[in-house]
Amino acid sequence: MRHRGIVEKLSRDRLTLFAVLAIGLFAAPALYAQELGTSPVQFPYTGNRTAVWIVAQLHLLFAAFILGAPIFVVISEWLGYRRQDSRYDRLAREVTKITVILFSLTAVTGGLFIFVLLAAYPQFTTWFINQFYLVFAVIYPALFITETILLYAYLYTWDVWKGEQKGRHIALGVLLNLVCVLILFVINGPTSFMNTPTKAEGVSPQDFLAAASLWDKIANQSWFPLSLHRIDGNVAFGGFICGMIAAYMYMGSKNQEERAYYDWMGYVSIWIAVGGTLLQPFTGLLLAYEMCDYDFSFCPYMMADQLSMFFELQGVMIGLLFLAINYYSWLSVKRIEGANNVRMTILAPIVLVVLLPATMWVMNTYWIPDPKSLAILLPLALSPFVLGRFIPITVSARTVIKVGFIVMLVSDAVWLTPAGFVATGTDMPDELKLPEGWDYLSTMPAKLSAILTLVFVTVVNYVLYNRTIKQGTILWGKIDFAAQFVLIFLAFISTWTMGLMGAVRSLLRKYFHTYSLVSDFSEESFTPTLSYSAWWITAITVLFIACVTVAVVIALRPSVAKTQAPEERPVPVGAK
Amino acid sequence: MGNIFKKLGVGLVVGGVLVGVARSQELPFDFQLLFLIIALIGAVLFMLLDAPSIGVMSGRKSLAAVAVFWVLLITVCFVGASSLPQFDPEDERAKITKLLEREREKSEQGKTEKLLALAKSLDEQVKKLEDRLKGVGGEAIPAVAPIPPAGGRRAAVAGGEDDVMKVGEEQWQLQECYNCHKLRGEGGKKRGPELDNIGSLLTVEEIQQKIADPKSFMAEGYDKEYAKGIMPNKFKDLMDPKEMLALATWLGSFKNASVNTPKPIKKS
Repeated sequence: MRHRGIVEKLSRDRLTLFAVLAIGLFAAPALYAQELGTSPVQFPYTGNRTAVWIVAQLHLLFAAFILGAPIFVVISEWLGYRRQDSRYDRLAREVTKITVILFSLTAVTGGLFIFVLLAAYPQFTTWFINQFYLVFAVIYPALFITETILLYAYLYTWDVWKGEQKGRHIALGVLLNLVCVLILFVINGPTSFMNTPTKAEGVSPQDFLAAASLWDKIANQSWFPLSLHRIDGNVAFGGFICGMIAAYMYMGSKNQEERAYYDWMGYVSIWIAVGGTLLQPFTGLLLAYEMCDYDFSFCPYMMADQLSMFFELQGVMIGLLFLAINYYSWLSVKRIEGANNVRMTILAPIVLVVLLPATMWVMNTYWIPDPKSLAILLPLALSPFVLGRFIPITVSARTVIKVGFIVMLVSDAVWLTPAGFVATGTDMPDELKLPEGWDYLSTMPAKLSAILTLVFVTVVNYVLYNRTIKQGTILWGKIDFAAQFVLIFLAFISTWTMGLMGAVRSLLRKYFHTYSLVSDFSEESFTPTLSYSAWWITAITVLFIACVTVAVVIALRPSVAKTQAPEERPVPVGAK
Repeated sequence: MGNIFKKLGVGLVVGGVLVGVARSQELPFDFQLLFLIIALIGAVLFMLLDAPSIGVMSGRKSLAAVAVFWVLLITVCFVGASSLPQFDPEDERAKITKLLEREREKSEQGKTEKLLALAKSLDEQVKKLEDRLKGVGGEAIPAVAPIPPAGGRRAAVAGGEDDVMKVGEEQWQLQECYNCHKLRGEGGKKRGPELDNIGSLLTVEEIQQKIADPKSFMAEGYDKEYAKGIMPNKFKDLMDPKEMLALATWLGSFKNASVNTPKPIKKS
């Protein structure tokens, strides 16, 4: 009986075993097929998300330069043509050479980005490409090829279209820029869509997407502000990188003539960069405003919750950027003969001191978009320039600049004052909070006042610098050697800040690949620590700047410069 | 050197005064440190402004200087970022896992994972049976552990009142309502009304209606926020009706009349 029982049990076991094996056999191909759709690749050391992040950010940095530099180049070439100053033409040509090399790296990192994305997130990438099929398969490649043709044509017609044909060459540069801007707007469609996909009240995001046209998807709420922010960002970034190139070349110069030229190049680059930088806070605020308007939960997530310390660090970086810009301006003034005689109305330092508290009061009383804020602040800011001539008391340029630095430090302090030094404001203990009466320092009106003051001080310094140039003589090539380190510092800080803000924009999608539409089920779907992010941002910055340095060495090494045919002076049409 | 000591002295005095004022006003230590650091940065800046010019460096010397400068920049960036308070991702990971649980189950990836888990469990059964076959001869066949049922959280939603309250509180945390609303003295940045007495002012159904359609009620005195549509209109997509009911039921239990929860005004 016992034997029979065992046999029966074994028969049952065998049947179960066969059934299990059969299920396994039939299920295996199905499982394998499903596995292909998920994430068959796991990048070692970095993980999938960080691998995508590194390649995407590198691609963005190269792309920012190759889209920003042509704007810079054409302005420079046009200035050279108008002013009959061959230095501008040389500057434009040298930057174009570097742009061509970095253009190749943009394409390489772009291709790599798609491959890494496909390997790491195959299902999402397929879905995403399908949403913008026409953009990815037709419009973007067509524009990219057009840009390639125009960029190479622009470089290789430099010696052909000169003299009376210079205008034609500049027109080609303008055409190149139009294509560049078009590319930026086109590709920002899918990029911004991931943050703020089109939606409508009362309809689920999925239902709305099913009925949305390509244009609906591109023209989402953050598309235009993001494009604006990136245009002025690219101009600023192009300028700062050119400043660094000028610094490298200045350091490697063998004679005074070369040093004079690269000193001048650094000066031109930085002032073009400053032009873009002064617009950055405003287009950035517009972008943040539109994002918060799209979904208000973005706002606390950025400013009070997981990303609050990312913004604290952004404040540090922007503060340092403005201090460095103005320090460069100070060093530039020092090498101008006769700078000591330049004076400015006493209204300038008075307004500098008054502006921050006045703006804080105005912003607290008449918050944007109340026009009364502008009605009070605009006359105050313009008073040194309009009323200054009627007031006989003046102070030296040095005093105005030094007062400006103190005001900048106070503005930085206001900008860097959070509600509390905690990683997230949601469970902030009372003992770490700003006490009542001081909490206005952590509000948006205070932050906006701080940035407005930083911009104003920079504008005053620029005006002062221009006045000094008119009254004195610039000794090109005689700038304090420390200025070259400032130029490198500015390039580093602007690249790093771009990396930081790129991470913030991407992290705003929270646990979605595309906000509220496609969830990210991967293990890496969470907000990384600031320390971890800073490590990778620094690594990306170093890698990018190393690539730029190599491009500079290849394109502008002395042997290349020597074999180059001497430049002819560009002659405007009809000039004698 | 005179320049350095003078500026450093001024920086320390200014920093000391700022720290003193901050302490007298009971500002936390971190803020005192911030003001001191800014005063010292100011001192360094003014040292640089009045420092004598650096002469032109030769090729190799400048290369070495640039390398050192780079190392300094990298170090400062990394150390600076690491010294700020760090958010612990583990807090968020648990939340995200819960938030995505249902969607994950429905997704291709979820189905795949379920199938993989099933295959793994079957595989284990096969191994146990193989072991059993090898050792035929008398011992009792171990019982195969049943596969745990999925969807524990949803089972809780369907459970008793305590479970409903638990799910409601969990939804409060998961949807991060505390970022805008103060409750039990925690959270909120005056973006939305304090909710400690909401149970006395709205029924559970009305609270549920407000969560699903933020335009249905307006808190008194929150006209600007209401006009701007600050409360996101997304929660009906993020929670299922049972979870939303649990959240509304939980909120409806708050009837603390000592807290001035603004009166809700019916809008649509």
